[in-house]
Amino acid sequence: MTNALTKVFKKSDAPARKKMSRKERKQKAQEVAGISFWVDLRKGRLSRYAIQKKIRGFITLLFRYLILGCLSFIILSSLWSLVKDAITDPNVLSDKSSVWVPSQISSIFLEMAWSKNLMNYLPSLLYTLGTTLVLTILQILSAGLAAYTFARLKFRGSGLLFGLVIFTIIVPSDCIMLAQYGTFRNFDLFGIIAAVRGSGINLIGNPAALYLLAASGMGIKSGIYIYFLRQSIKGLPIAIEEAAFVDGAGFLRTFFSIVVPSMSGSILTVGVLSFLWNYTDTYYVSLLNPTTSNLAYNYSTLQSNIRWGIDAAAKTNSEWLNMIDASNPYIQNSTISACAVLVVAPLIIMYCFVQKRFVQGAARSGLGGD
Amino acid sequence: MSKEKKAKKRRGFSYKSLDFQGKRSVWGVIFLIPWLFGVIFFFLRPLVQTFWYSVCSMELTGGAFKGTFIGLDNFKWVLTVNADFTEMLAEAFIGMLKEVPIQIFLSLFIAILLNGEYKGRGFFRAVFVIPIILATGIATFSLAETSLNAQTSDSVVNMDWLVSLVTNSGIPTSVTTMLTSYISNIFTVVTTCGVQVLLFLTGLQSISPTLYEVAKIEGCSAFETFCKVTLPMVSPTILVCLVYSIAESFASATVTYNSRTITLSSYIHDQTFTGAAQYYGYGAAMSVVYFVITLVTIGIVCGIVNKGVFYYD
Repeated sequence: MTNALTKVFKKSDAPARKKMSRKERKQKAQEVAGISFWVDLRKGRLSRYAIQKKIRGFITLLFRYLILGCLSFIILSSLWSLVKDAITDPNVLSDKSSVWVPSQISSIFLEMAWSKNLMNYLPSLLYTLGTTLVLTILQILSAGLAAYTFARLKFRGSGLLFGLVIFTIIVPSDCIMLAQYGTFRNFDLFGIIAAVRGSGINLIGNPAALYLLAASGMGIKSGIYIYFLRQSIKGLPIAIEEAAFVDGAGFLRTFFSIVVPSMSGSILTVGVLSFLWNYTDTYYVSLLNPTTSNLAYNYSTLQSNIRWGIDAAAKTNSEWLNMIDASNPYIQNSTISACAVLVVAPLIIMYCFVQKRFVQGAARSGLGGD
Repeated sequence: MSKEKKAKKRRGFSYKSLDFQGKRSVWGVIFLIPWLFGVIFFFLRPLVQTFWYSVCSMELTGGAFKGTFIGLDNFKWVLTVNADFTEMLAEAFIGMLKEVPIQIFLSLFIAILLNGEYKGRGFFRAVFVIPIILATGIATFSLAETSLNAQTSDSVVNMDWLVSLVTNSGIPTSVTTMLTSYISNIFTVVTTCGVQVLLFLTGLQSISPTLYEVAKIEGCSAFETFCKVTLPMVSPTILVCLVYSIAESFASATVTYNSRTITLSSYIHDQTFTGAAQYYGYGAAMSVVYFVITLVTIGIVCGIVNKGVFYYD
């Protein structure tokens, strides 16, 4: 075989051959031997099988790009239509000839949404980011600890408790809404607080209620995080932890300096999801801590009375007063779009930063090993 | 007391004398304390209370709920007097039946396309997380005063030609109406797939490449590889996605109420906090009905699907 190959390539490669080092020549020989299945050596062109394979690969790739492209288009176009409505000039709002890019761009709606009477953006953003960050950290911590127990530190009955975790995922949070409200309206621990103060603490309207839920693993979709992290801990090699135990590390130390670093990818995934869901959550916020400082909650309440919001905002600026007619549905639509853009923008910006690691992390935290 | 007895007594109480398994269990319980606290105070207790409220006539006195037992009157009111609720439940249930299978298929399909080596996959993978943001409803809104909605979001993608193509193709109308509803709602369907795509992607990534190698060497075609390797290996993930999809579909089920589209949960929320005290009991009864239906549906579906699920080890 080698003789035949050298004969074929001898003529063309002869001058170049001498310059090649031994290593390179070996590599080339390997390459030639490898593709001999694909290349018809006698005729000097691709074999039939190779051509078939190439065409099939090309069609698969085309198909893949076509479908992914179309679906991405659907997803991105909805986001863009929001941005487009938000940056259109009030004078050309009813102009339907511009589909993708507005014929006149102005930042008036964004400025209005930014202003005190609508979103009160900067203070609200800082407040929301702060509370969301606290919630995220508490949620990851509680979910991680619980997940470690369910994956490694099994005790009698822990399987049953894990069933309870699945149960918390399934039960819609609306079902226990009223009773949860009651719990926080009159918060008490085994009657201790009532004994000291005479009555329970009213935690409604206090972010502590949300923090308590997150810290005790009952926050938004905490059950899913526990499931997800448990799966990724199960996928880790147990030998490292055993080595740590043998070397004298305690359970806490093993968890924080061995397990947490080795599943940083899945923690990032859970962190991003938790941040995202806490940031956009209006359900728990409206139930336990209804404050207009929360961006998402403020946005959801604005929708129903946007007209008065626009009126109030326009009065603060003479230029806006001339251009904005609060009863015009196009104006209302654009204003809400601008509010939505302002709410979503921090998420998108944040996501751009962690995107690369996030997707890798999500891919690495395998669900296998059940 | 003799020395042996002392030692025995100490072994019963002190942490140090426990063996490794014992210590492990102790730390397991310690690690679980926050969650146990939460599950007892913020989950099980409210759940039991909700069941109790649903058979009570409620009163709010001094910031605390007080109930007196009245039997099944609340359920009677919810299921027979209140005409809206049962209708909404049925609507939500049918919506779920339509939504979930297509969600599972589409998200598995997208995940398979996203998985693998090709140029620009970082971009595509990033794009397909945006639906998770969109699904929270933060970027979708409806204006109360106008019908401007048609101008925004979904009509940017004009699907009319495709819809008419399907309707005129000669397939029975019952099938085509279902198909066309999927096509015209493609935006909603895609936005609800975010988490499932992520779950499937992780599921696909965890399949050992050696299995594919074996399939290739044994001469499997791409389709056979999919049926014999990919599908069984992701079947546990399919089960998880089903549970998640059904729970999510019920939780965010949209229903029409007074010719407005609202979610079922917000209807229960609004009904509960109308102000009149008796509505607390009604709200609780609605929640119980809603909860039982969700649980029974998931139970039945999982019972059926679990038979086909393949566990690797």
